[in-house]
Amino acid sequence: MSVRHSLLAILAEEPSHGYALKAAFEKSTANAWPLNVGQVYTTLARLERDGLVASEGLDEGPRQTWRITDAGRAQLADWYASPVLEDPPARDELAIKVLLAVAADGSNVDAILQKQRAATLERLQAYTRHKMRADPDRELPWLLLLDALILKAEAEIRWLDLCEARLRTRGER
Amino acid sequence: MTARAGDAADAPVLRFEDVGRVHGSGARAVRALGSVRFDVRAGELVAVMGPSGSGKSTLLAIAGALDRPTEGRVLLEGHDLATLAPSALAALRRRVIGYVFQDLNLLPGLTALENVALPLELDGAALVEARDEAREALERVRLAHLADRFPDDLSGGEQQRVAIARAFVGPRSLLLADEPTGALDSVNGELVMRLLRAQCDAGRTAVLVTHDATHAAWADRVLYLRDGRVVDEVSAKGLPPQARIGRGA
Repeated sequence: MSVRHSLLAILAEEPSHGYALKAAFEKSTANAWPLNVGQVYTTLARLERDGLVASEGLDEGPRQTWRITDAGRAQLADWYASPVLEDPPARDELAIKVLLAVAADGSNVDAILQKQRAATLERLQAYTRHKMRADPDRELPWLLLLDALILKAEAEIRWLDLCEARLRTRGER
Repeated sequence: MTARAGDAADAPVLRFEDVGRVHGSGARAVRALGSVRFDVRAGELVAVMGPSGSGKSTLLAIAGALDRPTEGRVLLEGHDLATLAPSALAALRRRVIGYVFQDLNLLPGLTALENVALPLELDGAALVEARDEAREALERVRLAHLADRFPDDLSGGEQQRVAIARAFVGPRSLLLADEPTGALDSVNGELVMRLLRAQCDAGRTAVLVTHDATHAAWADRVLYLRDGRVVDEVSAKGLPPQARIGRGA
């Protein structure tokens, strides 16, 4: 997650204080990624060093007001304009585990796939339980985040199903 | 446990006791289901998942008394289906079970209301009574305002909601659904699942066959079938706190 770009995005709306930035970030992102306020100040200091934000007024510390600079707006526009691609793909522990088990003698692959599917399905149920209770008008960020998590979990389950199917038909051709 | 009619009040709505189904015999016998055992209690939504050919549809057909097991027994509201005379079985099935399939089988020449009322009319209910019940069922799926539309004038999602209203019309307590969201996009599929969930939260019961994990996740329990056997059973647990959700993503 890019804290830098997140702070720029919030400051692009209006100048703000460190603590208010933390609160605004958490509200917009459904409280899913709590920010440590120290992390906010460290990031602001780096953004200031790079000329992307500037502090207003004479106050130091918590009352200090920050605003985005033109260079900051340009960098934010670039961020929004670029797709998010993991390149190379992030290390995927599950994929690594399954591939290693297949490469060994494959004898425990079925058990791994089955256990993982049950656990992911359970997680999917938990997300869905949250979704049932979410108010689509007042909690839109939360609902959109849940949709993202639900579809990622579904993709994992489909991949597990596909692994199982490929392993089962492997000897038949 | 021997099931008698008197036990019906506390019996599970549906019980599978070591149910098996073998097609054919001898060397050409093919096993579709084996040793399947589970209960479905009133108010539960249970999903059945598994790859093609794993026995999902056979399980649903046996649950709905459309097929008979070759091993074990099936209890519907405490009645052992194998011991019922054909006429009693047909009556029990009509009284308790509603079906929803991917192909909706709504009759194009009847309005939404008439489609929903039809099972009651076929069951001998008076026309006025059947229509009143049908209107109530349509209200439960929030489609009362479209009661006089014909199926062709409804969207796919609306048609599927009419099919659910029809399945739950009158006293029917158990809905058996085979891929009811199969032909729908994500938004309408979710609407149908929300509706099924709401019906179960209000005390009705449903068994849903689906290949879609995002829909199965609306269920209280998911049975996972492979080669005709239940290899996994996953129950919904309590809610994790919201702040812990994103960090796991």
